[in-house]
Amino acid sequence: MGDRCAVIGIGQTKHTDKRLDVNQTGMIRESCNRALKDANMTWKDLDAVVIGHAPDTIEGCMTPELYQAEALGMVGKPLFRVHTAGSVGGSTVIVGSKLITGGIHEKILVVGWQKMSESQSTWALSPVIPFQPALMAGAGGFFAPHIREYIRRSGAPEHIGIKVAVKDRKHALRNPFAHIHQESVCEEEIRNSPMLWDPIRFGETCPSSDGSCAMVLVSEKHADRGSAKPAWIHGTEMRSEPTIMPGRDEVNPRSGSDCAKSLYKQAGITNPRKQFDMAEVYVPFSWFEPMWLENLGFCDEGEGWKLTDEGATSMDEGGDIPWNCSGGVLSSNPIGGTGTVRFAEAALQVRGQAGDRQVDGAKLALGHAYGGGSQFFAMWIVGSEKP
Amino acid sequence: MAPDQTQEVALRADHKLEFPYVRATGPILGRFFTEIRDNGKFVGIKTSTGRVICPPVDVDPDSLEDLSVEDMVEVGTSGVVTTWSWLSEARPKNPLDKPFAWALIQLDGADTALLHAVDAGSEEAMSTGMRVKATFIDERKGNIHDIACFVPED
Repeated sequence: MGDRCAVIGIGQTKHTDKRLDVNQTGMIRESCNRALKDANMTWKDLDAVVIGHAPDTIEGCMTPELYQAEALGMVGKPLFRVHTAGSVGGSTVIVGSKLITGGIHEKILVVGWQKMSESQSTWALSPVIPFQPALMAGAGGFFAPHIREYIRRSGAPEHIGIKVAVKDRKHALRNPFAHIHQESVCEEEIRNSPMLWDPIRFGETCPSSDGSCAMVLVSEKHADRGSAKPAWIHGTEMRSEPTIMPGRDEVNPRSGSDCAKSLYKQAGITNPRKQFDMAEVYVPFSWFEPMWLENLGFCDEGEGWKLTDEGATSMDEGGDIPWNCSGGVLSSNPIGGTGTVRFAEAALQVRGQAGDRQVDGAKLALGHAYGGGSQFFAMWIVGSEKP
Repeated sequence: MAPDQTQEVALRADHKLEFPYVRATGPILGRFFTEIRDNGKFVGIKTSTGRVICPPVDVDPDSLEDLSVEDMVEVGTSGVVTTWSWLSEARPKNPLDKPFAWALIQLDGADTALLHAVDAGSEEAMSTGMRVKATFIDERKGNIHDIACFVPED
């Protein structure tokens, strides 16, 4: 893996539905300034910036990184963009980490963002095409059949999806940066929310957020520069597969499980449930928690819903493997930054910076992102100790 | 060989692909557009090295620190053409429907130039270093189209 890489600065915006007070670049800078402050660094200290952003049709601003280069301090320095749909926030961090582990740079900033209030992402992602039925489905319409198939295969009871939604929204109440703070959340409230794409209810879906999340990544020699102890990268991995191919398993995608296996090998993980102290996993619709519990090897296939049901993933129920302490994607979803928030939450936890949602003594954590039609995966493992 | 009947059988439909995009300008560009709309004035922004940039930017290109509305200063509505290119045939969405010049215009008091149209009548009337002044439309909305064009200063 080359040189060691450490996270010494983390910053994010308060995710919310509309940031009318700032423009796109201003919102990005807000997260970057916080990460640089945490790292005890300035813009001029940076060697490079890697930026992640989901498809340009979401804001209708083509290749915004080109005009943002000056505001990101990258005149005469390298800035580049990573583009892997919803997983981009994670892939961006991994690409950035490779610049450090490969010995190309020593101090870089990675940032993922989206300002979803500046358009309507559902329509941007599923335009009406002549002579084709107008699906008007968006992401929920695409993933609902995968979830129904998961329920059919596993025999999971109906309340599992509701339970995940309640758990993540309760976790979000501990996180001042989370978009959704649903104080009254309970199973009844989620159950009574409108059914959007059976079996996905309104209360079981992610919001559309304006938000940005940045991290400062450095080589070992700069690792002690930050305001808190560093988070060390123990492994990174990415995998992808086509949206449609014969024999593809959309419920338990091979690229996801292969990605996890390769990642775990790098860090010597043989029992993820036992060895990780927490995991921050991309769960945009509640049912993806049990699906990804299985895909990521936290249990055998068909058993994921049982972990959820017994409270294993809940901080409030004292679970042994808390998932999505930040409130998860169900509580904050600035698409291009959503994966970055997952990766950053894992790093915050092992740095002991997670405030009211801190898992006591967290030493090793998993950050995960996926995108497209469950076909792009990005994951990392961070730890409080050097790898 | 059978006759090509493609033209007879092809399905046709009007298709307009569009999404409802909006933009938050942020405080600095917001003030720039508001001054044009409400007062017919231009404002730039002063950097840490004393340069005045117009149109204003959010981030100081010299220090890389955030600028604020406190750093904004008024500049003139007249200025100097620093370079230009003559457009002999205007296109439908251009600011003028007759031949004109695209020009970089350094407004009085600014150290950088903004791009806009100069209605000079003919290419011969254009020259680098010529003075021009802004003209505005009547019903201003707070966007860049509030500037009608620039014209040679008498």
